[in-house]
Amino acid sequence: MRAPVAGRAISLDRVPDAVFAQAMVGPGAAIDPVRAPGVVLSPVSGILVKLKPHAFVVTATDGRGVLVHLGIDTVNLDGGGFVLLAEEGGPVLAGAPVVRWNPAAIEAAGLSPVCPVIALDADPASAAAIAASVALGPVSADDRLFTWA
Amino acid sequence: MPQRIVNVASRVGLHARPAAVFVKAASAAALPVTIAKEGKEPVSARSILAVLGLDVRGGEEVVLEADGDGAENVLEDLARLLTEDLEG
Repeated sequence: MRAPVAGRAISLDRVPDAVFAQAMVGPGAAIDPVRAPGVVLSPVSGILVKLKPHAFVVTATDGRGVLVHLGIDTVNLDGGGFVLLAEEGGPVLAGAPVVRWNPAAIEAAGLSPVCPVIALDADPASAAAIAASVALGPVSADDRLFTWA
Repeated sequence: MPQRIVNVASRVGLHARPAAVFVKAASAAALPVTIAKEGKEPVSARSILAVLGLDVRGGEEVVLEADGDGAENVLEDLARLLTEDLEG
């Protein structure tokens, strides 16, 4: 899985939301993004099965799904500050732009812009391997973030 | 098959966090449970990908179904969970 945004890759337990932090949504990693307007990229090639302003899900060709959540509690922004750059239901390539956003504006609104990137329905054995594979520290967009074997 | 029709209380619907709480409870249940929007194909309530794919909004009705021993109790517990605001 590639990093959808540039910033610093952190482990999920540092996400300021208990449900993400306890990996209840699934295993993965999060990115504390660079505070500048930017474009969010697809972490994997596949189908953009769900596209909301604040979150999207891509299923790879083998059917495995990845959730990218743009900030915490950002559903409450009702789409404000997000511009969709792709179409729900359509194919998307790894590294292709999906949403335009501004993490600095989200932070100015009092919310965390941290982006969890989550492997959906991963079995417990893969969950441990995913957590161990996270490339922690500074990341550029489209760098490897974690591996879901 | 035993079923329950529930109005989803979480204002944002069954999105990431409320969906995760629901799927965790469904995965812990003794029987497989399906969830569907009215008139649509049911999906496994144990799959976060499938539940997110339903795109259930706050205030929408969903149909929960399970079959087998204890199905009524399993459905009752999951239905009650959906009537709570899982955002909290």
